[in-house]
Amino acid sequence: MKDHLERRMTTTDLNRMTARNVQVYYGQNHALKDVDVDILDKTVTAFIGPSGCGKSTFLRCLNRMNDTIQGASVEGQILLEGEDIYDRRVDPVQLRAKVGMVFQKPNPFPKSVYDNVAYGPRIHGLARSKAELDQIVESSLRRAALWNEVKDRLTAPGTGLSGGQQQRLCIARAVATNPEVLLMDEPCSALDPIATAQVEELIDELRANFSVVIVTHSMQQAARVSQKTAFFHLGHLVEYGDTTQIFTKPRDPRTEAYITGRIG
Amino acid sequence: MSISLFLLLLLALAAAAYVAGRARAEMVAGGDIRRLHSLPRQHGLNLAIAFALPALVGYAAWRMAGAGGGLWSTLLILALGAASALAVWLALKPETRARNEVEAATKLFLIACSVIAVATTIGIFLSLIFETIAFFQKYPAAKFLFGTKWAPDFRGGSDLGVIPLLWGTLYVSAIALAVAVPVGLFAAIYMSEYASPRVRALAKPAIELLAGIPTIVYGLFALITVGPMLRDWIAQPLGFGTSGASVATAGLVMGVMIIPFVSSLSDDIINAVPQSLRDGSLGLGATPSETIRQVVLPAALPGIVGAVLLAASRAIGETMIVVLGAGAAAKLSLNPFEAMTTMTVKIVSQLTGDTDFAAPETLVAFALGLTLFLITLALNILALVIVRKYREQYE
Amino acid sequence: MTAPTRSLLVADARTKARNRAEARFRAYGLAAILLSVTLLGILLVSILSNGLSAFRQTEIAIPVTLDAALVDKGGKGDPASLRATSATAYGKLIAKALKDELARRSIPTGGLSDKDIAALISEQAGADLRNRVLGDPRLVGQTVTVDGLATGRIDGYFKGRVTLESAEKDSKIKPEQLHLADAMRDAGMMALRFNSGFLTNPDASEKRPEAAGLGVAIVGSLYMMIVVLGLSLPIGVAAAVYLEEFAPKNRFTDLIEVNIANLAAVPSIVFGILGLAAFINFAGLPRSAPLVGGLVLTLMTLPRIIIPARAALKAVPPSIRDAALGIGASRMQSVFHHVLPLAAPGILTGMIIGLAQALGETAPLLLIGMVAFVRDMPGLPPGGFLDPATALPVQVYNWTQRADPAFTERASGAIIVLLAFLLIMNAAAILLRRRFERRW
Repeated sequence: MKDHLERRMTTTDLNRMTARNVQVYYGQNHALKDVDVDILDKTVTAFIGPSGCGKSTFLRCLNRMNDTIQGASVEGQILLEGEDIYDRRVDPVQLRAKVGMVFQKPNPFPKSVYDNVAYGPRIHGLARSKAELDQIVESSLRRAALWNEVKDRLTAPGTGLSGGQQQRLCIARAVATNPEVLLMDEPCSALDPIATAQVEELIDELRANFSVVIVTHSMQQAARVSQKTAFFHLGHLVEYGDTTQIFTKPRDPRTEAYITGRIG
Repeated sequence: MSISLFLLLLLALAAAAYVAGRARAEMVAGGDIRRLHSLPRQHGLNLAIAFALPALVGYAAWRMAGAGGGLWSTLLILALGAASALAVWLALKPETRARNEVEAATKLFLIACSVIAVATTIGIFLSLIFETIAFFQKYPAAKFLFGTKWAPDFRGGSDLGVIPLLWGTLYVSAIALAVAVPVGLFAAIYMSEYASPRVRALAKPAIELLAGIPTIVYGLFALITVGPMLRDWIAQPLGFGTSGASVATAGLVMGVMIIPFVSSLSDDIINAVPQSLRDGSLGLGATPSETIRQVVLPAALPGIVGAVLLAASRAIGETMIVVLGAGAAAKLSLNPFEAMTTMTVKIVSQLTGDTDFAAPETLVAFALGLTLFLITLALNILALVIVRKYREQYE
Repeated sequence: MTAPTRSLLVADARTKARNRAEARFRAYGLAAILLSVTLLGILLVSILSNGLSAFRQTEIAIPVTLDAALVDKGGKGDPASLRATSATAYGKLIAKALKDELARRSIPTGGLSDKDIAALISEQAGADLRNRVLGDPRLVGQTVTVDGLATGRIDGYFKGRVTLESAEKDSKIKPEQLHLADAMRDAGMMALRFNSGFLTNPDASEKRPEAAGLGVAIVGSLYMMIVVLGLSLPIGVAAAVYLEEFAPKNRFTDLIEVNIANLAAVPSIVFGILGLAAFINFAGLPRSAPLVGGLVLTLMTLPRIIIPARAALKAVPPSIRDAALGIGASRMQSVFHHVLPLAAPGILTGMIIGLAQALGETAPLLLIGMVAFVRDMPGLPPGGFLDPATALPVQVYNWTQRADPAFTERASGAIIVLLAFLLIMNAAAILLRRRFERRW
């Protein structure tokens, strides 16, 4: 596993997002405490930790999806390109166009493959003509490594694809608005091993254009696809660093306990 | 012997059979009821059923045959039950499976109760079809189905064309749906997607309250408030007519009545759309209204179509609002401020008061009823199938 | 491949437009809810403002001497000879007493004829006085104070429905009579009182709206509800238990289920036709009988009870059944000992709501003759179930068909009574749900 990790160490040091001192409350429940994380450009950052540790909660803070949950409140500072995304002037609609999201279960809309991908560009007005929209759809599907499989059935319903294809369709859909950051919430948990391998490969390719944040249950997956890893435990960010370092020389005993399988 | 006296006697004897069964079970157990397969009271029940069931069936059969009611025949029937109970009593052994017998009888009762629904439908169908056939023997079916004139005359020579009634029915229903569908749908959308729990807790019961109000109340509202208001403020000043009862009156009030129906059905259906679809859309930066219009509603469309069909069926079959709000004159007109009439109104008017079940003017009500039943049946079944398919999709 | 970076802190024109569309859409939703609630308000205000006055009625207090020579011509003082005197004779007695009383109090009658003065009092007053005497023959020869009903027009005058202007054009009332009524009110002879008769009296004829009451209708509705409750509770629960707990998944069960769902949506008037054909024409049961009404409403209510009852049974988790089966109970025992008691609050809630719907149902009852004009109270059950009666909602309909506007007030008043019953039933259902509902 070590060689595998060394080979992939190609991180740029440009900060896309910076989170400082983030607290999340669900009603009375203090779900996340004092989280500081940097999301680097052209890098895959993995959030790992046992269930209920707060990793998904933190992911959803990064594009303010927590706004849609009753009683959730966020404190602290999260910057995107130096701008506070929780500033009162920020419209979450605009933010989410820049910070896209892919969910745990593939959730294609009950529309055609084409309309699924074109949905984001249409609502954000990214294409000036039909031809331009066609072009965005094609390039997004290519980036999601799905074009060759669906180019002949763009008008077929997206819900008719296989599970792995559906998830790649959702990735294409998220990529189509040309976001700066792509958030993925356990994107492979509902997929079989072959589809998982395809999506993992895709994530590595996406790194060329986006910064990707992935929440995962699987330590092997984190090790395979990420360059940076953050380990969450009981609402705390325990350790954040290079994936290699986290998996080979963890500094915190809790991290070590988790990656050796003693807690989790 | 009257029915109530017979039932009383039956009950008393069944109670006696219960006591006898219990005692016998305890006797054959020899004081140790652990030797019994079933509890003594189950044996008691078994004996009571063994007595009452044949007696009841016998009595019902006797009555159906038109005979019965006499003292001797009743006693004969009771003796039949007693014989059956005696046979069970004699055969009672510790290993007799009384509980299973009682449960089998209970299950039979449960099945019989479920079958009542089917029997009701068959009853409706039969009661409509026989009289309709009698009607068509006296009045040509083609004239009924395609006649454009409705002028019943009990002295004979009536025109009984269904078209004007059908037109009135559909016109009123269309206005009602035009009111209820947008309002009900938007109310449901607001309720399920926007309203805070507090607003929801207040507004939902208020809208459901509208659904609990009997239709006669809406009818009276149409008659004394909405009708005169439409007449004095709109119809008369604009020269559309001078009638308080009108298609518009009935349609508007019926629309108000159907709002909660549409909204609660749509609410259920919108809530059935998985949250993951909303998340997917919001996660791409769509606003809530874009999410609703472009993702939630298209996904919920089949269900909403089903709800609208059910609402239409409800509107077509509604009676009291149109009786009091629409008028009694059968007319084929486009003017919504004119009094027109519907099938349900005519069913009421042809079947109340002194009726002669040999006259086509009375029998036509059954043909109207059959038409109404078939239309609503088609709408209901279509809606039920659509909604069921829709639910399965997301289960 | 980097898009032109726009600051998040400044909303671009497109986002602003989208947010405006969002606000509009949201406003439509809110408007729909407000509209529904407003309409509900208008409906209730309209009914209340029209109907509340039905609970007050104008009465005229007159001392009447029950001269034995007039009311007991046989002179024996026994009920048989008292019965010989007609209500009209009592009416004349009251009319004369009124004239005398006006003269004694020296209230000017404005040149009205004796007939016009007598017309202030309802024809019902004579009948009421006769019943009073028949009930207590010792009154003969005494002077009693009669609280006679004023006629509908006078009553309407005090309630604002009849005015001096409208009386000019009305053949049934003269402005002078209204002036006299004013004078009598000032003298304390005439006043609006609580109208207890509205809840207890039977219906009255076209000519005496002031005497019409809901007594028979309330009893009729009560009898029907007893029939509906007695039949639909056991049958509905049994059917729900079978379909939810025992029925195999096959085409026959499917047929029953589709049937029940469809029956719940069949127009109520069709059930009326069924009742007319099956119970009256075929089985030969009498028209206008609460038993027939109850049977029709039972058939109509059953599916509306079975559906929530099944939902309540379904909500009981399978673990409860498994627990009972695991210690050797039969399936029947697990259902009747454990599942059914746990589902009971839900079933009862559905039952009450179903009953409330049945109570308000009108159309099917019209067809089985419940619109008849019934003056006599039905007898006690079980025989009373076959006596002619009306029902609350049908009484409303009945009164809307009368020409005298005083009946419109009565109809609205009857609606208030009906709504009060429904409110109590629904409140009970809500209370039951709040108190016993458990979430698994």
